[in-house]
Amino acid sequence: MNEFMEQFLIESRELVEGATGDFLALEETPGDRERLDSVFRAVHTLKGAAGIMDFDAMGRALHAVEDVLSAVRAGASPVTSRLVDDGLHALDRVTAWLDVMEATGEPPPDAGAAADAIVARFAAPSAVEPPPRDPPPGEPSGAWLDGLLARHPAQAGAARLALRYAPDPGCFFGGDDPLSLVAGLPGILAVEVEPATPWPALDLLDPFACNLVIRVLLQAGEEEIAGLLEPARGQVEIRALRRPGSGPALPAPLRELLEAQILLLAEPTAEGAAGRIASAGRVAANVLRHAGCASEADALDRATTESLTTGNPARLTAAIAHARDGMPPPGADRSAEAPAAPVPDPEPWPGARMPQEIGARALRVDAERIDALVTLAGELTVAKNALAHAVGLAREGTDPAALAVLLRDQHAGLDRLVGELQRAVLNIRVLPLGHVFNRFPRLVREISAGLGKSVRLVVEGEATEADKAVVEALFEPLLHGVRNALDHGIEPASERRALGKAAVATIRLRAAREGEGVLVEVEDDGRGIDAAAIRAVAAGRGLLPPHVLAALTDEQAIDLAFAPGFSTAAAVTDLSGRGVGMDAVRRAVERMGGRVGIESRPGRGATLRMTLPFTLMLTRVMTVEAGGQVFGIPLDTVVETLRLPRDRIVPVGAGRAFVLRDRTVPLVSLAEALGGAADEADRPETSVVIVNLCGQPGGLAVERLGLQMEVMLKPVDGLLADVPAIAGTTLLGDGRVLIVLDVQELLE
Amino acid sequence: MTVRLVDGETLRLEGDCPIEDAETLLAHMLASPGVTVDWRACEWAHTAVIQVLLASGAPLRGPPAGAFLRERIEPLLVRITDGIMAFPKGGRMP
Repeated sequence: MNEFMEQFLIESRELVEGATGDFLALEETPGDRERLDSVFRAVHTLKGAAGIMDFDAMGRALHAVEDVLSAVRAGASPVTSRLVDDGLHALDRVTAWLDVMEATGEPPPDAGAAADAIVARFAAPSAVEPPPRDPPPGEPSGAWLDGLLARHPAQAGAARLALRYAPDPGCFFGGDDPLSLVAGLPGILAVEVEPATPWPALDLLDPFACNLVIRVLLQAGEEEIAGLLEPARGQVEIRALRRPGSGPALPAPLRELLEAQILLLAEPTAEGAAGRIASAGRVAANVLRHAGCASEADALDRATTESLTTGNPARLTAAIAHARDGMPPPGADRSAEAPAAPVPDPEPWPGARMPQEIGARALRVDAERIDALVTLAGELTVAKNALAHAVGLAREGTDPAALAVLLRDQHAGLDRLVGELQRAVLNIRVLPLGHVFNRFPRLVREISAGLGKSVRLVVEGEATEADKAVVEALFEPLLHGVRNALDHGIEPASERRALGKAAVATIRLRAAREGEGVLVEVEDDGRGIDAAAIRAVAAGRGLLPPHVLAALTDEQAIDLAFAPGFSTAAAVTDLSGRGVGMDAVRRAVERMGGRVGIESRPGRGATLRMTLPFTLMLTRVMTVEAGGQVFGIPLDTVVETLRLPRDRIVPVGAGRAFVLRDRTVPLVSLAEALGGAADEADRPETSVVIVNLCGQPGGLAVERLGLQMEVMLKPVDGLLADVPAIAGTTLLGDGRVLIVLDVQELLE
Repeated sequence: MTVRLVDGETLRLEGDCPIEDAETLLAHMLASPGVTVDWRACEWAHTAVIQVLLASGAPLRGPPAGAFLRERIEPLLVRITDGIMAFPKGGRMP
């Protein structure tokens, strides 16, 4: 892959990421001008980059997105959640293309069809206007509107929107309160509530089945209610109203532009007809949007799509002519404002990807940090030259004592420089936690939609930095934490309302520097964790004997949630609840040398708190000898070391154990655990390292205890990557390789 | 309780009436037909509660305390119960 392509991929991924964040933010606050501009710029830049790479399909797709965003910027259409959905899907598609390009070095050959789908999706008016997806049954489409306007002549003049909301009969069970939704709409002029089917006798009335149709006249425009009706999606029919005869006549220059489009369409050549239809349709629609006739523009878009599908420009020509003459587009009377036939997708939209591996493929490094490295490299050269001088002196037979002083000074200087170099290099690998947090708004949006819960995600401290390895390894535990909060912690909206809590739950992702480490929290305002339920499940699963369970404090009981194979969910959902989530969190965090705990506030929520080291690179290890070889054991798992007389070791079943301060501690021979032979039989004493295994002490019998040292741990890769129980390797001072063990894995 | 029978012939709705009140309200109405509903202290009632009021046609004593109920919902109930075309009352914002 050439450098040019590499740069394109890096930048495009960053732009996609940025645009995704913008779309999500826009869904939250549709009026956020800054985000709108930002997403428009990102899409525009992506389109330009695709053009430079001669990736025509991507350029076309993004052009369609850009057009719609441009209309939104011009105020011609609102930000709808449909627009956000389509935008995110389009970005997913772009990401899939980038993946192919990264793998093959070529734009994917089959991108054209997918690009056409995106273009069609965005050209269809539904991209900018929430369509009545399933026109509520019962009344012929459009008839209700006339009746509503006729019944409220005084309000009809000021009304800009009319709604017909037919809630699902079962909507109360989903926690919906349709009138509450209506009451939240701005600029209400008139409300009508009527039974959808005639009322039964009172004793046959089901109070929990919604049998209502609500009709509303609003003074507000579509952009003002964007998003407010989201919970009632598919149950609401929205009609934009414009008073007859009050439509502004098009200014002359705009009429001329429309005329030009008709002429363009009239050109007889068959060649490039599709391009001409698309272009003329787009220009004409933009003209109308510019003139503030959004619904006419949408009708024109539909005519464009139709003409494109049939390959016959007649339909579009007629529509433009009508618009020019200030008449409603042909067939675009009220009844035709029903949704256009859905544009068929040549292939399904790619779902949001649940990335398992999120390694940043390239690092963007602050120039200052590189400058610091260059300076250090210079100083190291000076130190090297000074060493050459010392070598010269030694060769000349200088007094060893004087030489020793000189060497000691130089060693001290080198020590300082190497320390600085290490810090500088580690700093390069530092990433803000936003890198991993950024993935969650999208995930929370989709997971919560799947669970039917409304959740707001708040991210705090995303600028907090940590080593790249820590930041990247955080995704999985955070995902488990967030899923657990969504799945188990947060109550359904109806339950929340009954408890007097805000219907929309809040999940907070929070990061902060804490001393040498980084504190990362997932906090929810759900029901908290029921210590009694955890005890009951633990007892049921036989995790601990009843008397031990009874003696646990609530905090200790809640900690059992981290035990392998534990879950309090009665039903297994496709998210969490397989009983592996919290176990996986503890494993992942402890592998990084961190700690994890849960704080529960019954009825008010829970906080998953992870404390992680700032960097994974420097590890304090202790060396031990076993089977004639030296191994390192990470010091954070070591509790203590001791010499154990042989007669204190007692066989327990197939294993061995000893008593330490009135506690029975299992004893494992490290040499045996590593597949060698136990060979300490002839000695009166055994050296034992007591390690902490998930809070329980365990003894490792070794031949000899060694030193403690701070090492730069190199992860094992290549052929050794799959060998279990190896945390990494490092070089010893004498050139030997020190294998550092993952004790947890070793003893499982 | 946000719904209770006060004197055998008046049901009182108070504060925010949650969805559960719909069932209670309906049960009271079935037990003592012709009961009057006093909702002057009612700030908000779940759609299900309003639905019971609509379906029953029970006489109401109002106006309710909540603005939306007073301005937008009460006229609908009055229209139905008294046959008066009292709705709408004008374009005031709720």
